[in-house]
Amino acid sequence: MSDSGYRDRRPRAGTGLDEPADLDLLGRMRSGDEAALEVLYKRYAGLVFTLALRIVGDRELAREVLQDAFLRCWDGRETYDAGRGRVPWWLIGIARNRAIDLLRSRPHQARLREGGILPGNARTSDPSPWEAADAVGLRRAITSALENLPMAQRRAIELAYYGGRTQSEIASELGEPLGTVKSWTREGMERLRVSLWPLIDPKREE
Amino acid sequence: MTEDHQQLQEHVAAYALDSLEEPERARMEAHVGTCERCTSRLDEYRAVLGSLPIGLEPTEPPAEAWTAIRAAARRRRPARGGMERIIPTTWRWATWPLAVGLAAGMLAWNVWLLREISVRPPGPDVEALARRPGRLVILTGTGVRGASARLLVAVDGRHGHLAIAGVRPLPPGRTYQLWFVPASATPVTGGTFVVDAGGRAWVSIMVPISLDDAHVIAITEEPSSGSSAPTGDYLVEAHTWR
Repeated sequence: MSDSGYRDRRPRAGTGLDEPADLDLLGRMRSGDEAALEVLYKRYAGLVFTLALRIVGDRELAREVLQDAFLRCWDGRETYDAGRGRVPWWLIGIARNRAIDLLRSRPHQARLREGGILPGNARTSDPSPWEAADAVGLRRAITSALENLPMAQRRAIELAYYGGRTQSEIASELGEPLGTVKSWTREGMERLRVSLWPLIDPKREE
Repeated sequence: MTEDHQQLQEHVAAYALDSLEEPERARMEAHVGTCERCTSRLDEYRAVLGSLPIGLEPTEPPAEAWTAIRAAARRRRPARGGMERIIPTTWRWATWPLAVGLAAGMLAWNVWLLREISVRPPGPDVEALARRPGRLVILTGTGVRGASARLLVAVDGRHGHLAIAGVRPLPPGRTYQLWFVPASATPVTGGTFVVDAGGRAWVSIMVPISLDDAHVIAITEEPSSGSSAPTGDYLVEAHTWR
């Protein structure tokens, strides 16, 4: 990743002297520790809300998704499996599932989204106040990886990931054969994996 | 490398995106449980997808979101000890996991079956009973991710119980409805039900058609009075059962 200028300064939640690790927070939450919930919330609420807003296109719905995701973690309706990846990706998965469900069950809200109220995908050069400085490099790498995808591959992946579309729905929406969409999806995801997996592999932190 | 793996590895990316459709989806779901290579690749794709939102323009959540979460968390405080889930009031009688309860139900039906076989004269009815000691249908959330349901049908083929979790409580004027869909025929209703605040329900049902004649079993959201035919997408469904 030397061409992106990225250095391995990924956010390592909980590696500060006084910052608990994500797993510690989840364990404490299971015991009813509200302070742990607040730390986890302050750490990842921005990311979860940003994703939710990107999918549902409405701040009130995005807030509903955000609240539901964290409460599901709190009351044990969602359980974390360390073998499946880091805690933020797990949170993201919960929020995405809830957002897609809302998108599918509330078509009038989806029309709001299609009306162009989506937040943009382009990164600003200035990090927001709640971002850790060492997350900026990872963000730039992700943005770069997406921008380097052929537009067709990127569109297919984004329609699936942010739009909850099936492969057939994507093919219909883009006016392309299903086999073509499947190829775009497969090739695009593989490109993203080659670019980004070395940066986010949990085992690299050890 | 099996032929199955060679075909299915082409679908791992779409599966990771939750955009794979049937029947490839069911095949992939079964395959990843047995293929270390595909499971590893799937985990990598999912991690990559989980990181994509980092590339979005960040938006700070409203302050009132945390206020609402904190208030709700205090009402739903997890049980002390760290390992118990919050069990809604309507479920507190069932302190065992749902699977254990279902297994106990199946055992009871098997006991009933043995009694029925012992008292009935030999013949086709007894042979049918002996072949079918109760049936279990597992419904998965296709329209609602994370939702699942179990339909237990007694050996008589008519009485049953439905256990569902992971669906949202509906507003007034709306209900969930169970459907049995014969091949190339109009869906037949299995009744309506509501879920509790935790998105769960346990209801007794009457099965309107033989499971052998049903092609799909599904649940949709309908007006509170129920519908004569499904008006919405299948939220939870099953296509195969024993």
